[in-house]
Amino acid sequence: MSLTERMVLTRVRRLTRRDLRQWVHEGWVRPAMGEAGPVFDEIDVARLRLLCDLRKEMALPSDALPVVLTLIDRLHATRRDLRLLVEVLAEQPEDVRRAIISHLQSRASDDVP
Amino acid sequence: MNNDPYKILGVPRTATQDEIKKAYRKLVKSLHPDLHPDDAAKQERFKAVSAAYELLGDPEQRRRFDAGEIDASGQERPERQFYHQYAEQDAGRRYDPGQGFGGAMGDDDLSDIFAQFFGGRAGGPGRNGFRQEFHARGQDLHYHLDVDFLDAARGTRRSVTMPDGHTIEIAIPPGLKDGQTLRLRGKGGPGSGQGGPGDALVTVSVRSHPVFSREGDDIEMDLPITFDEAVLGAKVEVPTVSGTVSATIPKGASSGQRLRLRGKGIRHPDGKAGDQIVRLKIVLPKRIDADMEELAKRWRDKSGLDPRADLRRMT
Repeated sequence: MSLTERMVLTRVRRLTRRDLRQWVHEGWVRPAMGEAGPVFDEIDVARLRLLCDLRKEMALPSDALPVVLTLIDRLHATRRDLRLLVEVLAEQPEDVRRAIISHLQSRASDDVP
Repeated sequence: MNNDPYKILGVPRTATQDEIKKAYRKLVKSLHPDLHPDDAAKQERFKAVSAAYELLGDPEQRRRFDAGEIDASGQERPERQFYHQYAEQDAGRRYDPGQGFGGAMGDDDLSDIFAQFFGGRAGGPGRNGFRQEFHARGQDLHYHLDVDFLDAARGTRRSVTMPDGHTIEIAIPPGLKDGQTLRLRGKGGPGSGQGGPGDALVTVSVRSHPVFSREGDDIEMDLPITFDEAVLGAKVEVPTVSGTVSATIPKGASSGQRLRLRGKGIRHPDGKAGDQIVRLKIVLPKRIDADMEELAKRWRDKSGLDPRADLRRMT
């Protein structure tokens, strides 16, 4: 999916051209740079909607936005790593998985104050 | 779930537009699915809250709802795709903060973490003097670049204006693959203190070509030929990524037969080169004229060729 700036603006009605350019400039949204200007993917459109929610609906000030975005990006990177870990664990033999699960359970109950 | 948009937003029917907006904002903050990716209940409530606000947030829509002209589920909106649904897929790597198992680790991961927080906002207002004493390598910036198939095959230089306004020159080496990342040293974000700048990491997408496709360093294509060229053999012009060359079709060529044009594939600067693979495709005219029909009949009556003999034997 490749969308031009204009197509993105028709898709996300509450987004203004000025905001879009500003957010790309800040690096909050990172479209591919094609010969005829930026090219947006579905993930960029979804991220723009999230930015609209944060900025417009939740009225987050623009200097707080990079902090929130960094945390969100970190969260998703961590979740992908975690998912990878879970997938790798699922490929392990039965006894390895059991051992890990029982370790996890005993650690989790240790941590209860 | 309750269908009354006033109840969903938790406001009385007499609430002002401002009160509705406030109630909505408060709910969005606690329910947004991108902030609670695992919580299905919150996700459902968020949808209901959004729909309710869609209705009541717009005075005209609200008036029509109050007047009973439209019901609460008035218009169905297309299902919104939330950011986290993409961010958890591989596509989300685009927005990685540069950490993780498989990700490109910086030269010094500690400084990368700090750079993320302190050095990565060169455009923003500098708020604290702490930055002065702090040394960190600048942030690695990630970019995406779309490149034409032929440009990627031959190699080219492209000057690209980055989102922050400055232009960088990118040398695309011949034979660049789709999805490959180029690292441009020192073209990333500025460092803090005495730290050097970060790198620009440019991931290149190679657009597909209507004629050529790539298999490693080999270029593949289909070459349409006529019936007489297949029967009699011929010398024909064949396009390659580096210009047109002349190729010989052997006498009695079949559809699907492959010709290998040595050294006409991707050519690397060190002299190594792939080949171009040409798949022959015999094309008959849309209308078969009387001559051709006559020729085929005569040929059929005495040829005795059975191209499907092997199929029968082996099945």
